[in-house]
Amino acid sequence: MAIIEVEKKQAEEQQKEPVRVRGLPFFPHFLLREVVVMCLIAGSLLLLASLYPASLLKPADPFTTPTPIYPEWYFLYVFGFLKFWTYDIGPIPAKIIGVTVPMILWYGLLILVPFIDRNPSSDIRKRKIAVAIGIIVLLGLLFFTYYGIVHGE
Amino acid sequence: MTLYDKIYKWLDERFKLRELLPPILKHPAPEYAVSNPLYCLGGTAFLCFLILVITGIFLAMYYKPTPEEAYKSVQNIMTAVPMGSLIRSLHHWAANTMIAAVMLHMIRVYFMGAYKKPRELNWVVGIFLLLTVTTFGFSGYLLPWDQLSFWATKIGTGIAGSIPIIGGYISLILMGGNDIGADTITRFFALHVLILPMAIAILLGMHFLMVRIQGISGRL
Repeated sequence: MAIIEVEKKQAEEQQKEPVRVRGLPFFPHFLLREVVVMCLIAGSLLLLASLYPASLLKPADPFTTPTPIYPEWYFLYVFGFLKFWTYDIGPIPAKIIGVTVPMILWYGLLILVPFIDRNPSSDIRKRKIAVAIGIIVLLGLLFFTYYGIVHGE
Repeated sequence: MTLYDKIYKWLDERFKLRELLPPILKHPAPEYAVSNPLYCLGGTAFLCFLILVITGIFLAMYYKPTPEEAYKSVQNIMTAVPMGSLIRSLHHWAANTMIAAVMLHMIRVYFMGAYKKPRELNWVVGIFLLLTVTTFGFSGYLLPWDQLSFWATKIGTGIAGSIPIIGGYISLILMGGNDIGADTITRFFALHVLILPMAIAILLGMHFLMVRIQGISGRL
């Protein structure tokens, strides 16, 4: 593969010498790799779709509740948190906390991540707090997802 | 002069291809982004999106968004329409893979600190993309109108409805009434095939444009 050298000015570091970044031209090198990966993924999806077709259960019946019922897997953590949190905080009922925390508060915090984490370093060794918080949050999401599966209605 | 050269020359005289194409085609991609497979996650999500658009168009040709016809039309797709079962299953798998890829992509960006200056706003757009993608999944889940989709939507609208202050409005807007019925299915259909595709197209455009302007963040 032909590796081209590109000049990249780093204004922030006030360097007189331009920093050289090794790179590959988008076409054809980068695109070729993308196409290979795309073929692999498209093939895997075709295989999954042929081996495990999408299900279709009985028609919707508003008068018969099936058991157990679960939301989609990517909403299980919301469902799990709602089941997990049974404590009122002062005048706020547990149910309100159970829906507000994983939906409003969670997405609000996610949006604010770049503005909360002001540490300019992107070196993983210099971001111990951010990495620790990230791992704790991930484990929390997994826990509430598991809790949601176990406590399905 | 070959036919290809003639076409190129014809277009070049009109659109200045010689000046226009090289910056796009020769734009350098950093080596670390080419060699590290973690950088494939965003592209994977985008490929799933393209598959979803194509299979979704085919599904929309046979699907009927009414409580009486919805289930029968999906049954028809699964049993009678040529390739219908494959198209719907692909749509199903691409949707789940897309959500997983979007989440993994976000985890990758978080742990590599790729959201830092100057890329703060691209992270914010990314969160709106995550919201759009999960809403896509939520709205699409009801459409087959089977027991699973009906009751999962019941839980979902119930949870959304208990958010303080705005929850009541959200569930009223989503369901078009107090219960899941004919108005809910047309609303979810409109959301799934009209509103959300427009939203995601705009957000994806912003997302990619910002990556193009700011370059791919590197190092770990």
